Amino acid sequence: MKKKNIEKYRKDVVDMDYDLADFAIETAQKHGADYAEARLESTEGDGFLLKNGIPQVSGFDLIKGIGMRFLVKNAMSSFCTNVLDKKSIEEGIIKAIKSANASKRINEKIEFAKEPSYKANYQVKEKIKLADIGPDEKISLLYEIQKKIAQTKVRTMGTYLSLSTYGTERYFTNNEGSRIISKIPRTNFFYYVTVEEKGQSAQRFWQYGSATGWEYVKEMNYPEILKTDVLALSSTLKNGKRAPTGNLDVVCGPQVVGIMVHESVGHPYEADRILGREAAQAGESFLSPDKIGYKIGSDVVNVVDDPTIENSYGYYLYDDEGVKARPKNLIKNGVITEFLHNRSTAAELGVKSNAAARVTHYDREPIVRMSNTMVVPGDQTEEELISGIKNGIYMKNFMEWNIDDKRLNQKYVGSESYLIKNGQITDPIKWPAIEIETPQLWSSVDGVAKNTELHAGSCGKGEPMQAIPVLFGGPSIRLRNIRLSLGNI
Amino acid sequence: MKTQKQKADEETNVFGNASKDELPQKEISEYILKRLSKKADDVVLTTVNANKTQIKFVNNKISNITNWNATSIDVFLSSKKRLVTTTMKAFTKEDVDKAIDTLMKFVKNTKPNKEYRGIAKGPFKYQEIEETYDKGFLTIGEKGIDYVEAGINESLKHGAKRVSGVLETTTSNVNLKTNYNIDVDEKGTSLYYSVRSLVDKYASGHQTACARMLKNFSPENAASESAEIAKMSQNPEQGKLGKFDILFAPMPFSNILDHVGQAASIFNVESGLSCLGGKMNKKIGSEKVTLIDDGRLKNGFHSSMFDAEGMPTQRTTIIENGKLKSYLHNTTTAKKYKTKSTGNAGIITPSPNNLIFSTGNQSDEEMISGIKKGIYVTNVWYTRFQNYSTGDFSTIPRDGCFYIENGKIKNPIKGIRISDNLLNVMKMVDSLGKTPQQVYCWEIDTPVTTPKVLVKGLNITKPNTA
Repeated sequence: MKKKNIEKYRKDVVDMDYDLADFAIETAQKHGADYAEARLESTEGDGFLLKNGIPQVSGFDLIKGIGMRFLVKNAMSSFCTNVLDKKSIEEGIIKAIKSANASKRINEKIEFAKEPSYKANYQVKEKIKLADIGPDEKISLLYEIQKKIAQTKVRTMGTYLSLSTYGTERYFTNNEGSRIISKIPRTNFFYYVTVEEKGQSAQRFWQYGSATGWEYVKEMNYPEILKTDVLALSSTLKNGKRAPTGNLDVVCGPQVVGIMVHESVGHPYEADRILGREAAQAGESFLSPDKIGYKIGSDVVNVVDDPTIENSYGYYLYDDEGVKARPKNLIKNGVITEFLHNRSTAAELGVKSNAAARVTHYDREPIVRMSNTMVVPGDQTEEELISGIKNGIYMKNFMEWNIDDKRLNQKYVGSESYLIKNGQITDPIKWPAIEIETPQLWSSVDGVAKNTELHAGSCGKGEPMQAIPVLFGGPSIRLRNIRLSLGNI
Repeated sequence: MKTQKQKADEETNVFGNASKDELPQKEISEYILKRLSKKADDVVLTTVNANKTQIKFVNNKISNITNWNATSIDVFLSSKKRLVTTTMKAFTKEDVDKAIDTLMKFVKNTKPNKEYRGIAKGPFKYQEIEETYDKGFLTIGEKGIDYVEAGINESLKHGAKRVSGVLETTTSNVNLKTNYNIDVDEKGTSLYYSVRSLVDKYASGHQTACARMLKNFSPENAASESAEIAKMSQNPEQGKLGKFDILFAPMPFSNILDHVGQAASIFNVESGLSCLGGKMNKKIGSEKVTLIDDGRLKNGFHSSMFDAEGMPTQRTTIIENGKLKSYLHNTTTAKKYKTKSTGNAGIITPSPNNLIFSTGNQSDEEMISGIKKGIYVTNVWYTRFQNYSTGDFSTIPRDGCFYIENGKIKNPIKGIRISDNLLNVMKMVDSLGKTPQQVYCWEIDTPVTTPKVLVKGLNITKPNTA
């Protein structure tokens, strides 16, 4: 590392006055709250953007604030502020408690599932501290990626490369005795690249993220990833045949499996959606509370959501209601076994919270979220899955996708995709589309490989919007007898 | 005995909407400007002090009331074409000095943006915009709960079984100052209401209302309309594949127009993320298509006297009678393309303020009566692009969606997707309703004013199992 880069451009995290959160809890109780919680946060990070090889702007942010939530005779209210003095906090608490009281004639009677209180202090170790890496080194990485794209000699209509890193320290406390401190660094790289060949264009976006220091960014070799993507897009545009349509067998690579499992398993298993709490925002779920035990997929389908994976983008050990995290088995051998819960949805359905309550920042309410959601690997290789197909396609990654607000009707348009003939990958194809309903998707899986990859995303939910870091993925899977259609050619 | 004013103050305090005449951070921003101006070429400081309340209601009950008190200073700095931004949210002297030191250290270690050509140079005269600030907000108090309760009751009265949504009230004070003789203040108020009524899991309607003034705000109408759609949409049949004429209600068409507005940003054109690249002065839509961006729209949800670099906002015709007339620019991009700023900074990314689409003269009945085989779409979501540069996309109808045959609404349908192209949608615009609505909601970042719009022959797809 060059000497100038050893200089600290920012601290890992900014000093926080924990007493303010303790003060908030005491004050809320004094003014009539039956339950009170506070999240004191300090986040410091930076971001860099290269457009068509030209640095646009660099940015850094320091966020300090406190978010509080109260139950007053089962009525909920919240107050969030970045004015961190006791007078302002007390004024805000009084307003919030008055709000809860004023809503009594029409408020929902909210209860929280009983959970143990915890005292914990955990942090992610950074082998190379993000705060030690200067703006010049971060921009240099983006230049390096751009250079690698240029070396492919492929004509690009636009490149958009964005890199950001940040560290968040959070102190959670409530009047049940929990006191949890966490320090988590994160890295995020996002790109769009548009390639043109023979008067046609194709576009690809993707994201990588981690809860690590700079070592993850160094190991990932983003320049090589972009080079591979650009060459694949170019090859498909130049040589790709029109994808076949009709009923065929399909092998989906880990990126496609990741988006499928996130959209059609993770989201509909969020209990707040099932109970209608997000109806006017991200929608509801095709599932109802009585669907635990329902067979949704074939026997080889197993899905887990696990926030405890070290260094994962969706990592945490305690959720934002102070509940201890654990892996959640959403589907076991094709059967729905568990939904994702926070304390209030758990109480409503008579179970324990499984620690899925998350916030992006201090100024948002904790709602039910995924963490790292994946199909559990099987024991076959991807080649074995492919070798079992006479006539089909391999969809390595995708471009357009969407799903309805109940999480049934979904579409994935393949980006890098190939024909499979007699067990072998042959020609590139453009642009196959899977348009399918959730039960059929997971029931048609007859093979699960072991080549697990986890990919990063910023999952949007809540109002105001909370784009929360998650991973999704799994190994390649094989779908039998799926009807394929075409994206726009 | 409490005075009327004390009572009013107490009521205000419940919802945190009291706005102070003086920005508490004004002195801080002056201090920052003084320090940075010595070392930087261009400096823009935007101080925002906002109080916001959201009442979230779920299944006919208030689920949470959140008050926000947020203060921030956005800083933009350029030095030898090296550009840095930060948002300060911590304001002790130590925090501010540290942020300034970090800024200067940062700017030295970034690389120059060779395309950067500076910011707007003042002074400018700013004209106030009609109906963007309502003193009545200061005493809204518990009326927020009354609005929510009235909306729920209205929806239930019109046949809904479950009603969910949010009501938000915001007051803000913004000060923008630069090192080029700009120092301008603006107060604003806004109301936003989103209501989704459900008769059952597969029969729902969604409507929104947004306004800057209480007198322009009618949540009860939105509630009853959402319930009427929900009631009509019971027992939907599976929709079919094929080409259909689509009658878009204002909410779903705003979703699509928001993407057209974003495509007009010169930043997206340059990034390969726009289907409007290389189409200046070319025909990209039918004669019926005129799209305007108006930063000074009366009662406009995002109206402001100035953009992010202090340039006065304006009315810009993006598309006129189907022909692309202008991209959206800031000072730097305007200089690069030898044109004038359209008052749409973002200093890096110009973006639309309030979009306005053409209004026609047709009633709902007239529009429906001309459709042989079509679909009436009241809401869409999850609009995603296969390729922004070609405009290939799909979007999913959500809530009430109705099959139209031989000029009549036949039955509700479900399970379909509009899979088409943004430019094709503009080309196939056939007729326009006579009642525009300003729409802003969960999936629509730019407020859009549009009537119902009939688009001919769009492609409908669906899953094979359905």
